[in-house]
Amino acid sequence: MSKQQQYRQALQQLGKVARQAVSQPDIDRFLDYALEEGMKLVGGFRAFIALVDDDAGELVIHSALGPGWDEEKRQRRLQVAQEEGKGITGYVAATQRPYCTGDVNHDPHYLKFFEDVVSELAVPIVDAYGRTRGVINIESDQPDAFDEEDVSSVALLADLCLTALTLHQSRVRQEALVQIGNELSTSEDLDDLMRTVLDVAAKVLRFEDCSVFLIDDDQKRLILAASSGALKEQVGKVSYPLGEGLTGWVAQHGEAVRTANPREDPRWRGIAIEMPVEQIGAFLAVPVWGRERTIGVIRVVRRRSLAPWFDNCFTDDELEVLSAIGSQLGSAIESLNMRHRLVQTERMAAWGEMSAKAAHMIGNRTFAIKGDLNEVEYLLQQPEVNREELTELIGSIRRGISRLEEILHEFRDFVMATHLSTGVDNVNNIIAQTVAEIFPRRGPVELKLELDSRLPDIRCDAVKLKRCFAEMIENSLSFQPEGGELFIRTGLVDSRALPVRLGVARNKQFVHVQFCDKGPGVPADIKEKIFQPFFSSRVKGMGLGLSIVKGIVEAHRGFVYEDGVPGKGACFHILLPVNGKPSGEQTDVKER
Amino acid sequence: MYRILVIDDEEEVRHALQRRLQREGYQVDVAEGETDGIEKIKQASPAYDVVITDMAMENPDSGVRILEAALAHDLFSEVIVLTAYGNVANAVECMRRGAFDYVEKNIPGVDVYELLVLKIEQALERRRSAVNTLRRMEEITRRLTSSMRRGD
Repeated sequence: MSKQQQYRQALQQLGKVARQAVSQPDIDRFLDYALEEGMKLVGGFRAFIALVDDDAGELVIHSALGPGWDEEKRQRRLQVAQEEGKGITGYVAATQRPYCTGDVNHDPHYLKFFEDVVSELAVPIVDAYGRTRGVINIESDQPDAFDEEDVSSVALLADLCLTALTLHQSRVRQEALVQIGNELSTSEDLDDLMRTVLDVAAKVLRFEDCSVFLIDDDQKRLILAASSGALKEQVGKVSYPLGEGLTGWVAQHGEAVRTANPREDPRWRGIAIEMPVEQIGAFLAVPVWGRERTIGVIRVVRRRSLAPWFDNCFTDDELEVLSAIGSQLGSAIESLNMRHRLVQTERMAAWGEMSAKAAHMIGNRTFAIKGDLNEVEYLLQQPEVNREELTELIGSIRRGISRLEEILHEFRDFVMATHLSTGVDNVNNIIAQTVAEIFPRRGPVELKLELDSRLPDIRCDAVKLKRCFAEMIENSLSFQPEGGELFIRTGLVDSRALPVRLGVARNKQFVHVQFCDKGPGVPADIKEKIFQPFFSSRVKGMGLGLSIVKGIVEAHRGFVYEDGVPGKGACFHILLPVNGKPSGEQTDVKER
Repeated sequence: MYRILVIDDEEEVRHALQRRLQREGYQVDVAEGETDGIEKIKQASPAYDVVITDMAMENPDSGVRILEAALAHDLFSEVIVLTAYGNVANAVECMRRGAFDYVEKNIPGVDVYELLVLKIEQALERRRSAVNTLRRMEEITRRLTSSMRRGD
């Protein structure tokens, strides 16, 4: 083959690699492929690509080709080189210049690892920030196997590898950032949100530690709200005055701070640090943006690298990524606060209405009881006491008092619905107990039970759930006074199988409990309203029954809805999350 | 015998009132709420002498609607409004529109039934005198008309 033919062939091969660099979604497969092409191109017999492990600041073998490799050799090949502080690969990583030798045995940098190597060619992969990302190394058993053209070819290959690596990284980040938006917007409370933000930040950014501070408006201070590492125990305790230290400065000025050596910054105070300051190799803090102002700071730190050639500072890319997280977090916190305020307002309104309603009902009952007592008194004053009438009046008084008690019960249950005392329990057991306790054995309604034995145990308040299931049963019975059927079924369901309107986050599992009957059903226009306080048309209590059910289920972070066909029967669904952390959990958590 | 209509959506309340008022010697009908009450008022012939109604039933101002229906049917019917829970504003509105009085169901230390019986007696007294006045006016009108004819 002529030189020109060879050259043309080489170009064609590199062209293929270039196309793969942008189109192959699997970075590992691309690197293997690129290395193989590189080896063919320059005529080597063994080769590897080593990439910098960002966490350790060390080179790690990624792809390896040719004879003699095994897992142990892959592990040791570079370890040896780095420990000795020599070796061609390490030398190239540090100098960022290609290196080529035709006789390794007389080379000052060579460190013997395979017996058969004679020539070696190593080319660095260097990114746009001038940082070494890896080294391509090709070996030959022939003397003077590689020339200047080979070096250029492999250098070109190194650039293609860099392209693929950069693309891969931005793809991962892009996906993660989209995911951040989703996950943050479905977070249910601040704790959940903080956990999520630390998780997602760890997916897209490399850091030793990440902390989030939020501004407390009353105290004009930044208070630590979450931390992934050493400061975790200090959450809620550590705080910065606004403007103090690098973090306080970020909060006050609404601008990011990025430095390789925080100690040298005049704003540095060292108030709360994740690690001894001399160990910090990079510091990055960005504001958490609300709609109108900074509401906090999110910051990340990296440890100083042991490899002297390894620059550990945060890049522009990383600054942008953290800023994106900061603004996503800001809007998530604000929408959470808004939702919280809305719920508070609704509850307060319900409270007002409930007090009025309760007072009204208690007033009426008391009035009736007073009337009955008057009658008893009147009867007793008569010369001849009518025992029958007296007995009837006493029965009426007793009923009146018992209705007062029902109101008190319902009042208490409504108020306490969201205060859970959780343990670990199985919903099947709770259903079975409830049915055994309250379902009338000789009633006109036939009970069908279908309990799925695969149901996992969940964290829940068994007493509250019992109250909730009992309400569902009583509700169904009261609508089928002439007889009918109640079908209670449990099962396990995935969030994908649920109605979209519930707005359930993806990838969640729920214990599903159904109560279906053959009563009149719920008209379409009131399906949503039946869960509001006082909506019920039942005589008993105050009409809080289904709103208590809703309160209990929602405190478990669950859902309740009705979707039966009006006229054919009601069908209630209760969904309780598996692996959920109930929101109304009290501190006195007890295991059952 | 005087006829009284008791309107309340609470069964116990209706029952207790009916019992007590029957003991006082009245003929007592009951209605279960605003709609039922208005229906019974319209059907009554002769009209009820006294209507006793709860204020808040289907609507917070059910009492006002009952009052309007009662007065539309017979201007001299007397209406007494009961309130269970400090809903005095609506009760006062009823007074302004011509109710005889309002009685709160729960007054500590007061026998509200006794009070109600007293109010009913007063209401009946007012109705009697109003009806008498009307009759006298009718009588005078009749005499005047006939003397005017004779004077033709």
